[in-house]
Amino acid sequence: MTVPARADIVGNVWKIVAREGDPVGIGDTVAILETMKMEIPVVAPAAGHVSRILVTEGQIVQEGDPVAEIDATLSA
Amino acid sequence: MTDIEQVADHRATLARRRTERFARVEPRGKRVHTARERVELFFDDGTFNETTPMRSAHGGGSGVVTGWGLVDGRPVVVASHDAAVASGAIGEVMAETIMAAQRLAIDRGFPIVYINDSGGARVPDGILALHGCGGIFALNVDAQRRIPQISLILGPCAGAAAYSPALTDWTIMVKGQGHMFLTGPDIVKAATGEDATADEIGGSRLHTETSGVAHLEVASEIEALESARLLLSFLPSHAGGAQQVGGAVPANPRAAEALPELVPAKASVVFDMNQLVDGVLDNGARLELMPGHAGSILTLFGRLDGRPVGVVANQPACRGGILDAKSSVKLARFVEFCGRFGVPVLTFVDVPGFLPGTVEEGRGIITHGAKVLKAYVDADSPKLTVVVRKAYGGAYIAMGAKSLGADMTWAWSSAEIAVMGPGGAVALLHRRALAAADDPIALRDELAAEYRENVARPYVAAEAGIVDDVIVPEETRDRMTQALRMLTHGEGER
Repeated sequence: MTVPARADIVGNVWKIVAREGDPVGIGDTVAILETMKMEIPVVAPAAGHVSRILVTEGQIVQEGDPVAEIDATLSA
Repeated sequence: MTDIEQVADHRATLARRRTERFARVEPRGKRVHTARERVELFFDDGTFNETTPMRSAHGGGSGVVTGWGLVDGRPVVVASHDAAVASGAIGEVMAETIMAAQRLAIDRGFPIVYINDSGGARVPDGILALHGCGGIFALNVDAQRRIPQISLILGPCAGAAAYSPALTDWTIMVKGQGHMFLTGPDIVKAATGEDATADEIGGSRLHTETSGVAHLEVASEIEALESARLLLSFLPSHAGGAQQVGGAVPANPRAAEALPELVPAKASVVFDMNQLVDGVLDNGARLELMPGHAGSILTLFGRLDGRPVGVVANQPACRGGILDAKSSVKLARFVEFCGRFGVPVLTFVDVPGFLPGTVEEGRGIITHGAKVLKAYVDADSPKLTVVVRKAYGGAYIAMGAKSLGADMTWAWSSAEIAVMGPGGAVALLHRRALAAADDPIALRDELAAEYRENVARPYVAAEAGIVDDVIVPEETRDRMTQALRMLTHGEGER
């Protein structure tokens, strides 16, 4: 099962932390948004592997946009 | 039969009829206690007194158990829907019975707890049921000016039954058991074609995370009853009533010790505001309301110097601690409540601003942000504010600023208070210089550092008198305690 890691606020993708294939736990930071001069982490909603990064650094994302896909079938 | 036997017999019949009816009710979720058992579990042991237990239209009971009892020795009024009678649906007699309980609580100044488990208006009673529901709502509104009202959702709470909780102060839902909706899945399907489960339309997760209709999600009936007791422990019995002051307890020593190092120097790095609250407040009971909704603002009850306080704080760990439409509504509601019941409001500020943009403007952030301003201005309980890091623009004002009537405001030496954040301000003030610069980024950084040093630093605000003093973190608890003692001195004599 694949679940998206979503941006919970509008912002600029400042840094992509995880790479495709990386194992992640619940709450691990996948990417960091820059908004209102704050660094806001985008976290994995489930444990598994990062199957796909859906954004590039510098891209604007809206609240609720998927930033990465986590394959939760293969638990980390 | 003697008189005593006759009375006992009548009571036994009433109790048996209720038990039998309850046993016939289809079990829903974790519903395990009768309406009366819930009430007895809620109050201090053996203190429940039922009012009009024989009130009934057709011998089946009114459909609600009402009365009063003690919570930690203080009288509290209760109305507990009886799902064993017509699914707890609100008919004419049931409405009259609830209204009598409401009047008792309002007239005599006691909190009221509504235990909701009702299918809505009782259809066979026709428009008289609607008339009764309206009467309950009207008294809900009257009560707002006078007494705390708490709603527990321990079953369905549909249609007309859902509006009464929405007119009360705090709503607690049992996960998987309590539902609130205008109408259930079948009618929704018929009306709009939407196929959704009861949980999707009105479950505790929806209402405590997304909609904000309810303020606490708990796992069981017992936990709901205990949460209501805990909530009442922070509140006076009525507006203007005595605050429930206990003995002072020092702050959690580990959190207090960590306070000076807690806030990251870099303004863009997030931290957990709960740790700051723990380092200042008395160690002990806390009750966070709406923990799952609009998490960029924390709202919780705790104690300082033994005195109940309402804490409002930005939570940088969630959405950067931003003020947006939802968190503004949450904040305003909490401050308004504290003001109504004389509970001091302690505000801890680290706010990057009101979140701008199409989404938030579309949600009406201006209207909702204005509610925050109004709530602080209207609240006449003691208001103490500490700026711990960022306080920019309109959000600086909204977070309990001096201009809105804060009695005391302090800034930590690390605070930045300014009309705009350094980046934005420099871009605006030095537009031409930046456009002409060979290396605009280097110039911007240099100017931003200058701005931070000369404009945003807290001494500027202190010199202007809009913060009372610049303090270090370890002084916070003592300053707030002293101020609170001063502001509450002679309370009740005025």
